[in-house]
Amino acid sequence: MAHLSEGTLRRMVDEPDANAGADARHLETCTECKARYETVAGDARAITSLLAAPELKVDVASAFNRVRSAPAARPRFGFRLPVMRPGSRPVVLAFAATIALAGLVVTAIAQGGSIFTPTTVEPVPVTVADIQALSQLSAYGNLTWTTKPNLQIVTSAAEAESVSGLKPPTANNLPAAISKNVTYAATPKAVAVFTFSKDKAAAAAAGAGKNLPALPSGMDGAQLTVTAGPAVAEIFGNMTAPKAGTDITQAGVPTLIIVKSSAPVATSTQVTVQQLEDYLLSVPGISPELTNAIKAIGPGGTTLPVPVPVEFATSSKVTVQDVAGVGLGDNTGVGAGVIWVKGGSVYAVVGTIKLSDALDIANHLT
Amino acid sequence: MASLRSDEESFEALFTAEYARVAGIANRVLADPHEAEDVAQEVFIDFHRLHSASAQYAPAWLHRAAAHTALNRLRGARRRQRREIAQATEEMDRTADPQKLLEVNEDRRQVRQALARLAPRPAAVLVLRASGLSYAEVAQALGVGIGQVGTLLRRAEAALRKEVVRGTSI
Repeated sequence: MAHLSEGTLRRMVDEPDANAGADARHLETCTECKARYETVAGDARAITSLLAAPELKVDVASAFNRVRSAPAARPRFGFRLPVMRPGSRPVVLAFAATIALAGLVVTAIAQGGSIFTPTTVEPVPVTVADIQALSQLSAYGNLTWTTKPNLQIVTSAAEAESVSGLKPPTANNLPAAISKNVTYAATPKAVAVFTFSKDKAAAAAAGAGKNLPALPSGMDGAQLTVTAGPAVAEIFGNMTAPKAGTDITQAGVPTLIIVKSSAPVATSTQVTVQQLEDYLLSVPGISPELTNAIKAIGPGGTTLPVPVPVEFATSSKVTVQDVAGVGLGDNTGVGAGVIWVKGGSVYAVVGTIKLSDALDIANHLT
Repeated sequence: MASLRSDEESFEALFTAEYARVAGIANRVLADPHEAEDVAQEVFIDFHRLHSASAQYAPAWLHRAAAHTALNRLRGARRRQRREIAQATEEMDRTADPQKLLEVNEDRRQVRQALARLAPRPAAVLVLRASGLSYAEVAQALGVGIGQVGTLLRRAEAALRKEVVRGTSI
């Protein structure tokens, strides 16, 4: 019998039973093949250790929920914006979390009265774990979208305006390094309602082995409604749509994003949001991270809190367009941004640029 | 009865059965659990949009897509830079011995750079096998005969070693 091929020997290393029979008998008796087998096995072991990876612990249930909540409709060009993909790390996470959360859940628990519209912004240092803990609010009530966000990628400023009703801002002073290719994204307004549930909160308290503290009048079924948007974004960068079937991550990474959104509005029924917040903090079993998130954000008033993940970004107070704003310069030097509120709209300029450039662009925005 | 299951139920069953493995393949490529889960979720979303979850080829499609999507990310220079920063920051928090951490990171970085330089098929065969797929599963994912897997793997291992050596000797 001829000697065993390298491929056969390689498989015998991994799956000894697969080649039982003639091949196995040959290996038993052939010293040359035995020696080659040892070499192949040694190489295989070396490669296995080369390809060692850090331990991966997955939570299949929560991963499934994230995938299920991904937008159902395919965007028009068949690709999603890398910067808006949930969980992209790390710099993008800081910006995405900042913008998205500032508009929604955070606003909801920030306000002190029963109606809240922000007129200024304030940086709030939090950790990513704190932000993620906000999803635990679902243990105390039901969060539903009465109008879901419907982000669309469009080709022109006019189309973006027809989707959102907002005229995209004009950037008059772009650094030379910024691509002149602009992609527009727009969404009509979105409305989310959080309904506090006595039963759910009681179950959460029972999970900690405690009873629920006495409910203030009107607390059960109290509703918090948050309206975010409409919003329009201009994305500067070579965002060429990849050919069908190719990997979407091959779409270019944007170098600059300018966002204009109507300032979010929150209203509550039956109780003030301050009461709801105080009560939530008194429920047994609430995690330290969620407590941090709620405490860091309150008391609000007319200030829109901008959560800044301390792991990834530093924040500073800046003046932009003659109003107070939040400057973001991340620790890696990879990107920066400015966020401010003016005339009932929230604006953001973020990108892979220096903070001074972001301020310059922001100040010349019309 | 399986045949009466809705596509949503089939998708959930497929997700439950395959998610850990799909994320594992991406993690083998990227050596970054966070980004690996990003890739895994992206792969499932793309699959769900275009394919039926009860399709026979579903696991093989997912395995191949996980390997190729992760390898594409690995080849993106900007992403690699960001990932290394994130990884180093996170691991600094967890590890007591910074010197050892630096060494491990440097080794991983070199191996991943070498992996990124390999042609797509040898790179995929290495990571699929290293992620615990059987020869039959690797063959299905790559659309080759099972008898070819051993040969492909052996050649890919030699190619990776060569690239690692080349990377460290520059």
